[in-house]
Amino acid sequence: MQKIYPIIAIIGLVISISSVFKKSPFFNFVGLQILIYGLLKSADYIMPALPAQVILMYMAMSVFSFIIYFSIQEETFKAFLEPMRSLFADDNKKFLRLIIAFIALPLFAGYLTYAKVKPTYDPPVSARIVHPEPPSQMDFKGKTMNVLGLENPLRKDTANFAKNVEEGKKIYYQNCFFCHGDDLDGKGHIADAFNPVPLPFRGTDTIAQLPESFVFWRVAKGWRGLPAGSGPWNSSMPSFEDFLTEEEVWQVIMFIYESTGNKPRSWE
Amino acid sequence: MRILIALLIAMSFPVYGFSAEKAAANPEGKKVYDGWCAQCHGYKGDADSFTKDVSLPQPRDFTFGTYKFRSTPSGDPPTDEDITKIIRKGNPGTSMPPWTRFTDAEVKAVVEHVKSFAPDTFAMERKPINIGNPPKASKEIIEQGKEQFKIAKCVDCHGKTGRGDGDKGWQDDFKTDWGYGIAPADYTHGWELRNGSTLEDIYRTISVGLSGTPMTSYLDSLPDDKRWALAHFITSLQLTRKLGLALKVGRVESLPSKPNDPAWEKVDYLDLPMGGQLMFDKREFTPVITNVRVRGLYTSKELVILLQWTDKKPNDGSDGKPADSVRIQFPVKKHEGSELPYFFMGTSKAPVNMWQWKASDKEKVFDMTAKGPDKVEPKDKAEATVMATYEDGLYSVVFKKELKSAKDDPVFEIGKFIPFSITAFDGRNGEDGLTKGAVSAWYYLMMEPPTPMQVYVFPPVVALGVLIAGIGLHKSLRKNKKG
Repeated sequence: MQKIYPIIAIIGLVISISSVFKKSPFFNFVGLQILIYGLLKSADYIMPALPAQVILMYMAMSVFSFIIYFSIQEETFKAFLEPMRSLFADDNKKFLRLIIAFIALPLFAGYLTYAKVKPTYDPPVSARIVHPEPPSQMDFKGKTMNVLGLENPLRKDTANFAKNVEEGKKIYYQNCFFCHGDDLDGKGHIADAFNPVPLPFRGTDTIAQLPESFVFWRVAKGWRGLPAGSGPWNSSMPSFEDFLTEEEVWQVIMFIYESTGNKPRSWE
Repeated sequence: MRILIALLIAMSFPVYGFSAEKAAANPEGKKVYDGWCAQCHGYKGDADSFTKDVSLPQPRDFTFGTYKFRSTPSGDPPTDEDITKIIRKGNPGTSMPPWTRFTDAEVKAVVEHVKSFAPDTFAMERKPINIGNPPKASKEIIEQGKEQFKIAKCVDCHGKTGRGDGDKGWQDDFKTDWGYGIAPADYTHGWELRNGSTLEDIYRTISVGLSGTPMTSYLDSLPDDKRWALAHFITSLQLTRKLGLALKVGRVESLPSKPNDPAWEKVDYLDLPMGGQLMFDKREFTPVITNVRVRGLYTSKELVILLQWTDKKPNDGSDGKPADSVRIQFPVKKHEGSELPYFFMGTSKAPVNMWQWKASDKEKVFDMTAKGPDKVEPKDKAEATVMATYEDGLYSVVFKKELKSAKDDPVFEIGKFIPFSITAFDGRNGEDGLTKGAVSAWYYLMMEPPTPMQVYVFPPVVALGVLIAGIGLHKSLRKNKKG
């Protein structure tokens, strides 16, 4: 669909240039406006798309400045107004007048009004905070744990690293992959049933930003531990303290880092 | 001398041997397979894996050498392209996702490794069938396909409207060669047809069948044009899924009389993708209800909500398994701001009101207040009524409620977005009507208010004003000209 906008811009340019030769400032004006609109709409080729509000503002500015430009000299302004005067007054424009001035223009004005007064209903939006702030302390099955500064105890056991990761893999594929995906990309078999959608672990935006203890808190507490600002009522993240042991949670955390090539943040 | 030559040949055999040896010689294939396939298909390719008890459909056992999804005639193994396609595109509606992250060389190596689990199978030549050019879709060809659907006995398993509810599909001997039960496909859910949902996909499936399952090949028993006609008919059964966040509920003078009233078909709908309930014990890892379609209507007095979903084999609880059931929940308190009760059964701070229908008690609404899965209290008197039908594999359940609300009831206010969520249970799948079932997220329903008067008044007034101004301008310019 955006592909049409550069074409619109080119059409505007052609109208504008050809009307310079025909000495018709009005159509030059129309051409320029089309050109600018087409360019603004094509902006998303090189940058994030401009919001409709911003485009509307720029267009209003452009209309006003070009009207000022064309009205500086009286001669030009007269020539600028000529097509409009001719449309409303000349005898040989009867048909065009009927179509444009007496049918299209009122209908267009009516439509704009309709678009303005028509009530629209939008469901409430809920923003998502990808990294909710964890508490400094948490309770895990009756045991108090400091979230800040907490290290994964299994990391010290380097001899059993591979074994722990493999155990973590098993836990992941029996508890997590339904939502977070076979490839840890957040596109699990049933991921689309939930809103917000489950997060991916691949990439640098999620677990790569966190120390392991934060991930432990998210896995252990799930939706129940989320602060109100993160919308716990929508979260389908289970509280895995109901299903897994402390060691199992650390194992699955090791697996999700290891298999995505991400490194946990350290406490320094 | 002969012995010596034989010995030499025997010694050289492992080096120049058949594909299994070649695959083992390529460590890349085994590495990727063990890393990203073995969790489901097993390190030995025998599907004895981490996910064997928590995935449905079950992962393929490669040692068996039988492949459901192929382009080759029945009995033949799949081509390398067939296996590559499955890896690259996945099987919709299953845990097999599209694997896009790997290079072509890696996928090729994995294909070799997969084949090495059943070397004898892949020793034979493999050639895809010719798909040719599909005939164009038309009313006539779909009608022909519908006839064929009966004549070729597709209907016996897949049911009259293709929802997989045919009688034959639900007999005890309806099993795969792997030994487990299998359900006939639901053609209305195009998005989860394992072997693809395009016309060509359907044609190919009909033609070569799904090896190892009761779905046989029709390559020899049906001529080409009849298979195309069938494919056209089957493709035409697919629902258009409408996903979104909110359902608009329109106002009418009188409500449809039955849940399966054809009048409902014209009413706007919203499809809710369903997932297994995994937050609370007992968890549902293998849900089979994957979509619930919701519609609503209201009058000056009442609100009705229609819930529809496929259940290939209805269950009223008389066979010892739980009865099929569906539940809709609303926040108890009027919904203000963005804060909501928990989307599954609420919490003690923010309870929900639940209306549940059970196939064992067809005319009753179980009206409950829930403050979490372990704190569910039945209400003295149900505030809603219910009507339900089951027809050709489709449950249709209508809840009806007066707009006036009693004290502890959810408030249904016109023009407001009212949160609701659904839980649906398939008793045959062991879903218990409590926590083990398929759940939806929160959605909203909104009873559309009557259009405000200004919408009818302002636009014509403005249009008329512009017309009058135009005529005025025309008159005055003419006058000037004359003058």
